[in-house]
Amino acid sequence: MPRYGMVIDLDRCTGCRACMESCKVENNTPEATFWMYVFRFEEGEYPDTRVRFMPRPCMHCDNAPCVKVCPVGARYKREDGLVATDWERCIGCRYCEVACPYGVNTFNWTHPEEQYYLGWEDGAPPWANPDLNEPYGDERRRIAGGGRDEGVIEKCTFCVQRVEQGLDPACVHGCPLKALVFGDLDDPESPPSRLLRKKEAFRLLEEVGTEPRVHYVGGGPPSENSKQIDAVEARV
Amino acid sequence: MAARLERLPFGVGHTSGRWKLWMAVLAAIAILGWYGWYLELSRGMIVTGLRNIGPMGGATWGMDVAFIVYFVGVSFAGITVAALVRLADVKALRPIARMAEALTVVSLVLTVFAIMYDLGQPLRGIVNLFRYARPQSPFFGTFTLVISGYLFASLVYLYLGGRRDAARCAEVPGRLQRFYQLWAAGYGDTREEQERRSRASFWLAIAIVPLLVVAHSTLGFVFGLQVGRPGWYSALQAPSFVLLAGVSGVGMLIVIAAVVRRTVAGTDRLDDGVFRWLGNALMILLLAYLYFMVVELLTSIYTGAEREREVTEALLSGRYAPIYWAAVALLVIPLAFLIMRYFRRGAGLTTLVASGVMVNLSAMAKRFLIVVPSQTHGTLLPYQPGSYTPTWVEWAEMAGLIAFGALLLAVFAKLFPIMPVEGSES
Amino acid sequence: MAITRRTFLRGVGAGGVAAATTRLVLGGPETLLAQETPSALVEDVVPTTCWIGKQDCGILARRINGRVIKLEGHPGNPRNLGTLCPKGVSQIVSLYDPNRVKTPLVRTNEKGVSGTWRRATWDEALELTAERIKEVRERDPSLVVWQKGRSKSKEIYDSALTYALGCTKLGHGTYCSDAGYRACEYTIGPTGVLHPDFRYTQLLLSWGWNAMNAGGNKFCWIVWNRELAAAKERGLKMVTIDPRIRGGGPASDEWLPIKPGSDLALALALANVLIEEGYVDAGYLKTYTNAPYLVGEDGLFVRKGDEPLIWDERTAKPVPVGSKGAEPALEGEFDIEGQKAKPAFHLLKEHVAQNTPEWAAGACGVPADRIRALAQEIGRIAQIGSTIVVDGVSLPHRPVGVMFYHAAQQELGFQATRAILTVLMLIGAVGAVGGTMMDTKWEINDNYAALDAATIEDPPYGFTLKYSKYFPINSGSPSMMALTMLDPEKYGVDTTPEVLILHMANPVVSFPNVHVQRAAYEKLKFVAVISPWLSETADLYADVVLPAATLEKYEGPISASDLYTSAKTARVPPMDPLWESRGEIDIYLDLTEKVGVLYGEAGFIDEMNIYLELPEKLKLDVEEKPTPRDILDRWAKAQGIHEGIEVFEKEGVYVSGPQAPSTIYGFATDPVFGGVVHRFYGESLLRYQQVMKDKGADEIYWRDYTPLPIWRPPTMEESPSEYDLYLISYKLIEHKQSRSSFVPLLAELAGAQRLEMNPRTAAARAIADGQMAWVESQNAVTGETRKVQVPVRVTEAIRPDVVGMPHHFGMWTHPWSKNRGPTPNELFFTGEGYVANTADQSFHVKVRVYPAGGE
Ligand SMILES: Nc1nc2c(c(=O)[nH]1)N[C@H]1C(S)=C(S)[C@@H](COP(=O)(O)OP(=O)(O)OC[C@H]3O[C@@H](n4cnc5c(=O)[nH]c(N)nc54)[C@H](O)[C@@H]3O)O[C@H]1N2
Ligand SMILES: Nc1nc2c(c(=O)[nH]1)N[C@H]1C(S)=C(S)[C@@H](COP(=O)(O)OP(=O)(O)OC[C@H]3O[C@@H](n4cnc5c(=O)[nH]c(N)nc54)[C@H](O)[C@@H]3O)O[C@H]1N2
Ligand code: SF4
Ligand code: SF4
Ligand code: SF4
Ligand code: SF4
Ligand code: SF4
Ligand SMILES: [Mo]
Repeated sequence: MPRYGMVIDLDRCTGCRACMESCKVENNTPEATFWMYVFRFEEGEYPDTRVRFMPRPCMHCDNAPCVKVCPVGARYKREDGLVATDWERCIGCRYCEVACPYGVNTFNWTHPEEQYYLGWEDGAPPWANPDLNEPYGDERRRIAGGGRDEGVIEKCTFCVQRVEQGLDPACVHGCPLKALVFGDLDDPESPPSRLLRKKEAFRLLEEVGTEPRVHYVGGGPPSENSKQIDAVEARV
Repeated sequence: MAARLERLPFGVGHTSGRWKLWMAVLAAIAILGWYGWYLELSRGMIVTGLRNIGPMGGATWGMDVAFIVYFVGVSFAGITVAALVRLADVKALRPIARMAEALTVVSLVLTVFAIMYDLGQPLRGIVNLFRYARPQSPFFGTFTLVISGYLFASLVYLYLGGRRDAARCAEVPGRLQRFYQLWAAGYGDTREEQERRSRASFWLAIAIVPLLVVAHSTLGFVFGLQVGRPGWYSALQAPSFVLLAGVSGVGMLIVIAAVVRRTVAGTDRLDDGVFRWLGNALMILLLAYLYFMVVELLTSIYTGAEREREVTEALLSGRYAPIYWAAVALLVIPLAFLIMRYFRRGAGLTTLVASGVMVNLSAMAKRFLIVVPSQTHGTLLPYQPGSYTPTWVEWAEMAGLIAFGALLLAVFAKLFPIMPVEGSES
Repeated sequence: MAITRRTFLRGVGAGGVAAATTRLVLGGPETLLAQETPSALVEDVVPTTCWIGKQDCGILARRINGRVIKLEGHPGNPRNLGTLCPKGVSQIVSLYDPNRVKTPLVRTNEKGVSGTWRRATWDEALELTAERIKEVRERDPSLVVWQKGRSKSKEIYDSALTYALGCTKLGHGTYCSDAGYRACEYTIGPTGVLHPDFRYTQLLLSWGWNAMNAGGNKFCWIVWNRELAAAKERGLKMVTIDPRIRGGGPASDEWLPIKPGSDLALALALANVLIEEGYVDAGYLKTYTNAPYLVGEDGLFVRKGDEPLIWDERTAKPVPVGSKGAEPALEGEFDIEGQKAKPAFHLLKEHVAQNTPEWAAGACGVPADRIRALAQEIGRIAQIGSTIVVDGVSLPHRPVGVMFYHAAQQELGFQATRAILTVLMLIGAVGAVGGTMMDTKWEINDNYAALDAATIEDPPYGFTLKYSKYFPINSGSPSMMALTMLDPEKYGVDTTPEVLILHMANPVVSFPNVHVQRAAYEKLKFVAVISPWLSETADLYADVVLPAATLEKYEGPISASDLYTSAKTARVPPMDPLWESRGEIDIYLDLTEKVGVLYGEAGFIDEMNIYLELPEKLKLDVEEKPTPRDILDRWAKAQGIHEGIEVFEKEGVYVSGPQAPSTIYGFATDPVFGGVVHRFYGESLLRYQQVMKDKGADEIYWRDYTPLPIWRPPTMEESPSEYDLYLISYKLIEHKQSRSSFVPLLAELAGAQRLEMNPRTAAARAIADGQMAWVESQNAVTGETRKVQVPVRVTEAIRPDVVGMPHHFGMWTHPWSKNRGPTPNELFFTGEGYVANTADQSFHVKVRVYPAGGE
């Protein structure tokens, strides 16, 4: 069983937010829903200003608070490390969302069909990806894709529908700078393992003990100095 | 066995025009609330002011959750009073035991409604919360287990405690006779039966105590165990939850008892003694709660990490400051009243009732302030500060629930003696 | 490609009360939600190319039952190697956008206000357009204007079509980077502005390159950023010379926050230090440039016959350029037949002697020590004299590169580019390994000769003012067209355009000043707009709108080269054009047929044969209307691709292999630098100046026609002192000019217009972050003012005396682009003082900013 994880190279990231868009299109997420979010930071004062970027998918924590609090086991950890959301079981309590220290969960506040940017004739947008309807994993649960049903929670799935086919997640695949790397952390030859050996790594909010599966190299975590710029006004 | 009842006591079975008018008003508000829920069901929770934490800059838990916590807190008082009557044999409380039990049942019913309002998939909730129950989730402790267990226990209480009165009421001919007969279920008021009843109540009371502690602590844990939300992660969370629950519950009991004494004939047994006891209890709880509040505040100001401070700042001087300081005032003013009362025995009921109302308003505000700011402010990753303003739907839903609760209590008082029938106390 | 079958699941949907009750009663508990409705899905992947951007990234379109559901980068396209930028990914939404123009439209209301339309058939709309063209063509074909934005299929549109129609062609380069192009073509030869040789550069001056957001020289985005990241990993140092640092992002190692419009002064100061400290590649200057040419007191080269003279140090005699064995002097004052003469280099040295870093510090707002240190670093890292072996060829190695593109659009842009080139020439980095390049191939553009041999005419002038005494070097500027239309007498213009076909441009939003553009459009008698969208220009002024397809069309030829790899592609449709839209080539075939210029000699088909360089056996039959696919098929075969267009339909891209050093390095071409002399000294510019003066042009027109770049404060500095801030503009990574503002996914990301401002500047004006402010610009020449309201966004990443507004906003025809604030092109002016000496637009103006509401 592989142990999937992601490594993000902040030295390469240009903050272009293509990963956010790749995710949206691949996973068919509705308006104002960003499973991937790219922070842009400004630090220091003129003329010693620095600008830097930090993509933030779900951390697929090994010790995931969101999994612990889910009252019905709709949020669960798969053997390969993916933290999944069963959208057929979720009761929409949003407890996972308040429990997550990283702010990665999004809820379907209304009928997703009303939130695909431009009203489409048959509700779902013309680019809807049919793979998202399939059940995945040995447990055959429906855990892929966004905009499933009003009243259920969703978040980054590590693109389970692609990973199970042996493809990289959409954001990783499409990153123009190859700043995102995905693979089996147990395989010393996988791209993420190699990158982790090459550069010093850190994880976000290490202190809260969530044991994220997403590692960062290059630069450092945001500090008290990091002022977010270009925040996406993702309000519905 | 006491003398046969001539007619039903405490105005049971008898409704005045004014009463009906009141009920109509309450029903209208309740229906407005349900209309709000209908909107939520048909259009989605987008009709609330709730939004996602993070890039969306919202709070995902809001009024609903604040009131869930509040209602559970109020229910606390009922079951505690009932337990005290059984365990500590507090005589002063006996006249209000049934009110307290009824309050418990009603506020738990409201809790269940509020939970349904808050679920994105309410019906799935009812099924899945049991079908896939996960005891590891604090939610399970609080809602699945405790609320159902709790509701069950208080219903049993109410039922057992009322059997004797039911038996007596069943003697009065009328439309309700069959109902009383059913309730009494052949209760004969023999010594043996009296003993059996009091034994059952005693053991139930003993069983309820741990349930009580679990309920209110897990309620605290729902928040207190969340490392991800600055301002929530605190060991003080559980005890202060219990204290505020006591404050709001006792306050509510005062209000209900006063209303009963004002509006129901033959309730002079609700004397100053009862109110003095309640007033003093409220005063002690308030003092303890304020102490906790100050300790929590000081720790978050002096030892709080950056993110914690952001939340504290939002509370003390930021976005939430008006609510925060209003909540503080609504605790401090009643405390002053209560202390005055303590020294000036026999003072009128007005200040006491006002205190009861004020601490309940404060409790609602405080629940809101526990739930919301830690989502909109101080997020551990540097998102922009968020905001949450409840929509009219949420206001209507909550007002509707409160009206519905009042309606249930008022109807109950017309169906069954709201106090033990004179002479039927053992 | 792969075809699979799968099961298709569908959710249950219902509305209103029904939904509420189902949800209440059933709650949508699992199994009820997803019902299996098995149906066979056919899945495949087909290639196409990005339609939004400038570099036509290769795309693989994933289709289900023939419907495109995802666009992913084509791994084989050297430009994007399997990736896409946010625009590339998001365009799928707009492919299906119901707001696209679905059928040809004919205007039913007056022009100048939002259009009302009636649907027309293609036949009717084209007939109408052809009639108007024919009528004007009969009188004067040059009064028909074909105005384009982005360059695609240049051979077919810009060349074949416009020659067949005999019309006037206008591009958007004058707002893009034409000032820089002309400076490079004139000075060095290749067409383009400046980019580094990323694979070898060690020091990069990111000079007005908005790296994290925009393309820099020629490309759209991905190529340069990928190269930059790789170069950084090899240890490249990047110095950002820009009033803002946002564009440099984490890649920037040092920031020189320069004052807008002062780049020329900075370059002169760098030259000063380089010469002062002896960082001069004399070998290169003597061999490949006119630096040793002797310049007489009149500023012209001293000639013998036609041949300019140099001073041969060996013989201590003036000899004609190119004399065998001569050792040209770079410095000295010589007496040539009674005339005092100095080598051009000597003149530059004297000229920049006063341009010390201390002097430039005032003009540029950058501390003198930083300028000096930068110059020294340039000199050191250039390693003058070093060589390196690339692919077995030993070449000069000067690892100092410059990226400079849209920043060339400033009043002194032409000369600023020349000044930067001067710095690069001093260290010998032009066309050297690790140095600076202009194009993906080292080819000498016709303009190298043409710009040196312009004849300045007497009025009456054509409406673009080309070869006029006002803007003799001039690539055809829509602004000039607008200004001459509005005041023909002032410029001695006697005829103005009547019919205009607008192709992929949106002048009333994208080009300054929008009011001037609008006034001119108002005067056009007939406007046909070809666009998939109802652009703002179409909304206000189109008589006819012809719906173009987006990426679902044949278009080409398109280069897929990334500088280091040579490759070709063509846009091929991943599905049929939606609604009644059509590819442009199709549209033009029908239009020219109706105008009567499709067939026969010098007809559109014939011109395509010429410009696509089709050999005899592949030539199109000039009497038979071809399909776009057939045209591109022949072009592909003419390129030696046997399978023709099928290669692109199947594989998407044709990679010929790595580009040889002899293709990309000027030093490696045969002959070296394409055999041209680098114009260190622009003698012809001085000649033009004299003619312009003679013909009575005002100083404002001729003052920048100088052989050496000379600093003067830009005209905007003459605005009254209360206009105390500089306004600049730039791109956001989320948008492409005005042609993606309505892509909903992008609009969602990019938000709305904002005035970026240093917090100190905002505080001094009592403006809080997010507060609305007025921005008022002033034209220092005419005194005109313009103002708009926009929310302020404070940022430490900008000079305190500069405010910035990105492009991309100020549109109104689409639900996702409207109400997003104004375009800065309301504030920039055009015309004298706000265009370069080459008539190219400046994106600088002085403004004042004050809180809105309180005035
Ligand atoms: N995302 C995106 N990419 C694009 C485009 C797009 O619209 N969107 N457009 C494409 C096109 S057509 C082009 S032309 C290229 C342009 O690519 P760039 O040349 O990189 O273009 P701009 O974004 O205009 O960046 C101009 C930079 O110059 C700075 N600047 C302004 N005035 C001055 C000055 O006086 N001196 C100096 N030194 N700097 C100055 C600005 O702060 C800004 O950082 O990008 C291409 N790529
Ligand atoms: N303030 C400010 N202004 C600027 C700039 C800036 O940085 N700041 N940048 C300048 C630069 S560098 C440039 S290059 C210009 C660009 O300016 P333009 O060349 O005018 O480009 P767009 O504004 O993108 O307009 C393109 C138009 O083409 C239409 N269109 C889109 N796709 C197609 C198609 O497939 N076929 C056809 N026929 N039409 C299509 C769209 O509807 C749109 O109206 O803007 C300049 N303007
Ligand atoms: S796509 Fe890549 S470079 Fe762009 S923001 Fe995402 S991680 Fe960074
Ligand atoms: S990042 Fe949040 S949602 Fe993702 S696994 Fe960790 S706790 Fe759960
Ligand atoms: S919202 Fe859904 S996934 Fe999250 S905790 Fe509640 S039931 Fe579990
Ligand atoms: S892994 Fe997949 S789901 Fe997660 S952010 Fe990337 S694209 Fe989105
Ligand atoms: S870089 Fe330009 S051409 Fe490439 S995908 Fe982005 S917009 Fe399209
Ligand atoms: Mo451009």
